[in-house]
Parts: sequence; C-alpha cells; structure tokens
Amino acid sequence: MEFPQIDYVAILPEIIICGLALLIMLFAAFLPRDRRWITGHIAWFGIIVASFAVWMNWGTDTRTFAGMYSIDLFSSVLKLIFLLGSLLVVFMSENYIRLHKLEAGEYYALIIFSLFGMMMMASAADLVVFFVGLEIMSVALYVLAGFRRSDPKSNESSLKYFLLGAFATGFIVLGIAFVFGAVGTTSIAQMFDPQQYTLANSFFYLMVGGGLLLIGLAFKLASFPFHMWVPDVYEGAPTAVTAFMSSGPKAAAIAVLARVFVVAFGQHITQLSPMFWSLSVLTMFTGNLIAISQTNIKRMLAYSSIAHAGYMLIAFATGTAEAVNSVVFYLLTYTVMNLGAFMVLLVVEGKEDGDNEITSFTGLGRRHPFLGAAMTLFLISLAGIPPTAGFAGKFFLFKAAVAKGQIPLVVIAVINSLISVYYYLRVVVVMFMIDTQTEFRPVSYPAFLYVALVVAVLGTIVLGVFPTSFFPFDIPLLASGR
Amino acid sequence: MLSETASLVFWVIAFVTIISAIFVVSLRNIFHSALFLVLCLFSVAGVFVLLDAEFLAGVQVLIYVGGVAILMIFAVMLTSRMTNSEVRQQNEQKALGALVAFSFLLIVTGAILKTMSVKGGFGLSPSPSVTISTPHAIGRLLLTNFVLPFELVSVLLLVALIGAVVLAKKDGD
Repeated sequence: MEFPQIDYVAILPEIIICGLALLIMLFAAFLPRDRRWITGHIAWFGIIVASFAVWMNWGTDTRTFAGMYSIDLFSSVLKLIFLLGSLLVVFMSENYIRLHKLEAGEYYALIIFSLFGMMMMASAADLVVFFVGLEIMSVALYVLAGFRRSDPKSNESSLKYFLLGAFATGFIVLGIAFVFGAVGTTSIAQMFDPQQYTLANSFFYLMVGGGLLLIGLAFKLASFPFHMWVPDVYEGAPTAVTAFMSSGPKAAAIAVLARVFVVAFGQHITQLSPMFWSLSVLTMFTGNLIAISQTNIKRMLAYSSIAHAGYMLIAFATGTAEAVNSVVFYLLTYTVMNLGAFMVLLVVEGKEDGDNEITSFTGLGRRHPFLGAAMTLFLISLAGIPPTAGFAGKFFLFKAAVAKGQIPLVVIAVINSLISVYYYLRVVVVMFMIDTQTEFRPVSYPAFLYVALVVAVLGTIVLGVFPTSFFPFDIPLLASGR
Repeated sequence: MLSETASLVFWVIAFVTIISAIFVVSLRNIFHSALFLVLCLFSVAGVFVLLDAEFLAGVQVLIYVGGVAILMIFAVMLTSRMTNSEVRQQNEQKALGALVAFSFLLIVTGAILKTMSVKGGFGLSPSPSVTISTPHAIGRLLLTNFVLPFELVSVLLLVALIGAVVLAKKDGD
C-alpha cells in the first residue's frame, strides 16, 4: 500500500486551529461557569499563533496529501484574511457574550471550527476537500445563528439558514458528481491540465456540474437569486455572529469560485463570463435597491452585503488572474470595514434586544463623537468614497475589469455605488444632523471591543491610503509544482 | 449482461420497489406509508447488489433503512397529531405531482436511451474498473489518497455533535 506524502508543516495552521477549538471545549468543560470567559482569551491567542504558522509557510508553493491540499500564496493570503476577521469577531464577542449570558466555551469553539472549515476551503485543491470544508464551516454557522436559544427570532434564523443551506449543499454534491462524470477526476489541478480534456463530448456535463456548483456557492455568497435568506438570517442571528457570517463565508465562497471557475474551468471562461455578468448585475441592483427602503440597520447591512457580493462577482465575469487578485484585496477591505460597522452597532445596541432601528443611532455623533466618526468612516468606506479602503478595493476591481474590456459592467457597478451612497449616508445624517431630546442610552466602553474598533478604523484608513504597500497584487492562483 | 437468474431477481426487485413506492404515496395511514418506504429503500439496495455495488448496497441499508426511515417512523409515532384521522394524508396537488413525475420519467428515459445509442456513453468518462467499488478498494483509498477528506469528515461529525448538544440541552446545565 502506497501511503501519500504528508507535509505536516504545510498544514500546521489548520492543525493549530483545530487543536484550538478542542482545547477551548476542554477548558469550557472543566472551568467553573463564572470563569469560562477565559476561553475567549485562549481563542484570540490561538488565532495569533495560527497566523504566525501561516506566515511561516509564506512563499511555500506545493501540494500535499496526494495533491488534495494546496499550500500557496493565494491560500495563505486568504487564510490571513479569515484569521483577521475571526480575531476581530472574537474581540467583538467578549462583551456580547457577557451581556447576553451565552455559553462562552461552545460559542468560541464553534467560531474556531467554522474558521477551520474556511481555511480548508482556501487550501482545497480537490472538490471533495472543498466540500467537507464547506460543511464544517456551515454546520458551525447554523448552530451559531441559533445561539440565543430563548429568542424566537434567533431560532427562526437558525432554522431558515439550516434548511436552505442543506438544500444548497445538495446542489453542490450533485454538481461535483457531474463534474467528476465529465472529466473523471475531482482534483482541481488535474482539471486545469489541458491534457485531461481528451473527452470531446464532456463539455455539456462539465457545464451542468459547474452550474450546479455555482448555485450552491451563490447561496453561500448571498448572490441573487439565492439571497432570500440573508435579511431574515442576519436580523435574527446574534449580532456578533451576523458580523462573522457576513465576512467569512463570503470570502471562503469567493476562494472556491476562483479555484473552480477561473483555474479549473479556465479554458471555458468566455462561455462562463455572460453568466457571471448577469448574476453580478442582478445582485448589485437587488441589494442596493432593496437596502434603500430598510429601517432596521441589520437588514440594511444584510442587503448591503448582497450588493457587495455583486461587486465581487465582477471579478469572475472578467475571469483574469488580475481580477481575482483584486477581489481578494476587496475581501480584505470588506472584512475590515464591514466588521467595523457591526462593532459600532454592537456598542449602540448594548443590552437592548432586537432594537436595531436606524433611529436608535439618532444623535450618536453628538453624544459620542468617536463612535459617530468611526461609523461614518465605515459607512463611507462601504459606499466606496476615497480615501477609504472601500474605494481602493473597488478601484482595483474596476481597473482589472476595464483592462479586460468589461466597461458596461463597470459603469453599472459605479451607478450602483452611487445608489448605495444614499442609504449609507442616511445613517450618517441621523447620527449627526438630528439631535435627540431624550437621553441617549448609556454606552459602555468594553475594552476588547474598542481594541477591535481601533484596529478596524486604522485598517480602513491604511488600506485606503497605501493599498499596494500591504497587499501583493501578483498572487498565482494555484500551487504550480508538486 | 445479467444472467437468467439475475434477470429474474431484477424483475422481482423492480416490481417490489415500484409497488411499495406506490403504496408510500397512496396509503391513508401515514405509519403504513413509512413502513412501505423502508421496503422500497431496501429493494433499491437489492438493485445495487445486482449492479456489483455491494458497498453502496450496504450504505443504502445502513443509512436509509437503518437511519432515515427509522427516524421518520419515530417522528410519526411521537407526533400524535400526524396519525389523527382528521389530518388529510392525501396530496392536494395530485395532478400537478403526476405531471412532474411523468416528465421526469421522460427525461430520464430519454437520457438512458441516448446513452445506450451513443458509443462511449454520451461523452461520459469511461467508468473505472469494477474492482474499485468493492469495500476493500474503498477502504484502501480512504486511508491513502483520500486520507485528508476522511479525517476532515471526523471533524465535521464532531462539530455536528457539539452543535446538537448546544441547541438541545436545557438552560443552566
């Protein structure tokens, strides 16, 4: 029996993250109830250690586990984005868990398991590994969405997410089966190899499989027409979980889309481009137009996340390596600014349950200038106004699209950005222009949340002003050698 | 091709499968329907055996007969309202359902006929040699080439377990 070569150093970040989740569960089991907050500190410390492990593998370019696991710059950059996002979420959650008396141990363990799934998806060089990674990520999220068990809205959110997510899973498995039938392999690297395409007639089944895969991934990405679950799930889930959900899974879905549709099916990009083109346009318009009429800020951010999924899909309508690189940068900026907006929401929300109306921000800018200024920064960044990270992200994405001649698509995207300015700035108007007669609800200053908030503010500014000095824009999309 | 006996066995199994499937959707007592579902799934396992897919047959029995169907029967028995005669057991959209089922039958039949007429099977890659579907070969693959997904599945099971406990346990335990 020939055993495949296993490179334990390459997979070290995942090993650390998986071990971290188990460690947190163990600590939660043996610590007394009032000391379980310690698990949060283990979580953020472990995430930083794992980031060093990713850094250690920087520049390694190889595949291991019989070619199923790819360690390359693309996966390393994505893993750092996931780790950064999760780190911020762990910081954000500390206060939230205390206020709502949630089970700290299980909460952090599930967040870390979900992170593990995402990292596996980023490194997957085989559709089977990608699928199992996706399921690990999703199952943890289904539970997290329903983590406030006494809240009916949270239950509804969890159930909706689970049922629709399970349905999307079915599409993905069927898609993988069709792709396997068409090319006789599930390995992304082998599909990429043109010599594998000896079967002339397999194109039809390849596209059927690709289409089914796309349906499943579009669901995770929250793209039109698979976006129906997003507002309800985002509104009902605990706010810190919503923040996690809106950044991580999106980035993981983008990673797989890039590996499958730009690398593995790269030869068919001209046939695939119109499909992504229409998906992108419809998603942008749906998200932005419905966001205008929202009065609940969580729902507004949900529709805004749909709109951002639309911008991200531009990269796949373009289909070049440059476009994929810029969408990875876009993911980084989106993670920072979107999590930032949720952090301010968490502070304002405080202990009040379910009151996330935009009007609850009234007068925030006058009473708490720092919070108001931070929220304004995140919102104008989400709208894509310079000199913020959001602008830089859109700039590189649109530049890559224009270079490939996708000018109408870019024009539509710019029009959509202008629409989005309206609903983002409406919150700013409420915060600064209107003063409340009533007393503003007391705002506490939890230390960890503020550390995260400062990181997000700095990130939004620095990525906007010096984008090229912090991000490599020439990432190859798959490990070249064995 | 199948031998004479195998062919006879196939027709018996096919008959049992279809008859029990009809009973599943037409019986008035939902508990009886669930029992016929068990029979239906069991005979599908028989078809897998005839196709040299012993492993698939075993999995079919373990998961569908042993897991899914038993779970359904539990659900039926635990929800007393379901067996109540006042609850309508019949599908209100019979005609539409029949139409969808019939068109699906046409599509599948068309696909099978086309696959048989085109040499090389409709452009699908040639099926791997039959030995690969035996439990022995599958076990070997799981611990060599597929060792990473195999290990990942155990993490997935752990997450599902933790998730179930988190959602189901009483407050304050």
